[in-house]
Amino acid sequence: MLGKLLKYELRASSHTMLPLFGLLLLVSGLTNLVMRAANGTNPPVVIQILLTLLTVSFSVGMLAVGLVTVFAMVQRFRNNLLRDEGYIMHTLPVSIHTHIWAKVIVSGLWYTLSAAVFVLAAFLVAADAEFVQDMANVFGELLRSLSFESAEMLAELLGMFILMNIFLSLLIYASLAAGHSLPTRKMLWSILTFLALVFLTSLASRGISSLTVSLVDGITTLIYDGSDAMTAWRAVCAVGAGYLILFSAVYYLITVWFMKHRLNLE
Amino acid sequence: MAILKCAALTKKYGRAPALEGLDMAVEPGRIVGLLGPNGSGKTTLIKLANGLLRPSSGQILVDGREPGVETKKLISYLPERTCIPGWMSGEGLMGFYADFYADFDRKAASDMLARLDIDPRAKLRHLSKGNREKVQLIMVMARKARLYLLDEPIGGVDPAARDYILGTIISNYNPEAAVVISTHLIADVEKILDDVIFISRGRMLLSASADDVREKHGKSVDEVFREVFKC
Repeated sequence: MLGKLLKYELRASSHTMLPLFGLLLLVSGLTNLVMRAANGTNPPVVIQILLTLLTVSFSVGMLAVGLVTVFAMVQRFRNNLLRDEGYIMHTLPVSIHTHIWAKVIVSGLWYTLSAAVFVLAAFLVAADAEFVQDMANVFGELLRSLSFESAEMLAELLGMFILMNIFLSLLIYASLAAGHSLPTRKMLWSILTFLALVFLTSLASRGISSLTVSLVDGITTLIYDGSDAMTAWRAVCAVGAGYLILFSAVYYLITVWFMKHRLNLE
Repeated sequence: MAILKCAALTKKYGRAPALEGLDMAVEPGRIVGLLGPNGSGKTTLIKLANGLLRPSSGQILVDGREPGVETKKLISYLPERTCIPGWMSGEGLMGFYADFYADFDRKAASDMLARLDIDPRAKLRHLSKGNREKVQLIMVMARKARLYLLDEPIGGVDPAARDYILGTIISNYNPEAAVVISTHLIADVEKILDDVIFISRGRMLLSASADDVREKHGKSVDEVFREVFKC
């Protein structure tokens, strides 16, 4: 059933996300072309105006792509599971857990794609033959010098990025599920719950920070011998991942509890 | 065995009870009218059977099981409001139902859409409100479910649409299944009901066959309802 939910989730969200990504890449490409056309001593006024408009659109688009992605994912969860569509979704022969995982996976995918489109758009604006050649050289050099340790670092960074996605999605879902269990001003309560969860999370993090310090020391001593930079990096990753998994699990349980026991589709 | 059974079922919203100690059973093969004025607890009962709400106390069983993933395979539910996703087409919606429900009859749904002259490729958000309601009913009735729970299927629609809706229910439901129709518009549904359950302020006032009610009171179910719930 997870596969079927993912299929419909991707279809529904792609209606918003793909045009957004397409538009940003189109503006980036056009900006690049107009920048090159304006690359003379005295470009025509039309080109200058066009360049200004495209540069502003590009900057706004770059800022918006992340925000719009988060906003679209919030709306998708809210509309699909906590409002009218919920009457259909919650009566499918699918567990709450499957619903939540479908949303987490698809949100994570769109967050990743929006980060990729952000980078691609930046490249598109700057791209010319020389730039492409330079980037190819840099990547070629990077690949040649790729050691086991740097590959490991990349994998760990990717893992942290995935965990951050899950953490962010579940924080938002827990806030929405709790806020929408109330009879009125559901969105306001969701925002207040979000702020309260962020505050409590930060308080809890501080509360166990002393433990964290000894944890890092402990991991460094127990698992790896020596205290080189790589060891410290691994310890930081382990502790960071531990934090993200712990708080994600708490948010997950909050989301499940509210959707099972306090679902209010009115 | 009853397909739907409630024992001392109570549901409270905060302190306010929506259902209080309800005992009732719905047998397969019957069309049951769940009749009561607004706020009597009809929708709450249907939501409890669908697992959209949890009982405060007591028990509700569908085919002997508490509401959950397995019982949702048996129930075809028509909510009181239209909630089909507007971004889908009729074709897409049929695919959606066929993907999730093994008992969905795609051909029956397709035929019903064709009879209404609804283009299956059109986005649902582009259809009129009335047609969206009909599409939703078609999806619900195109399933060969064991229990149909129809919450106010004829509320807020014109008389011609009421006839279409009741006709669709009668000509498409699985005869071995039970159909529960919640409504306060008795006159329109009376002719199709086998049994009636009167519910008021979360309590059951009467549960009997429609024929028995008519025979005992010498009146139509609608007239009995008006007498019982006189303001």
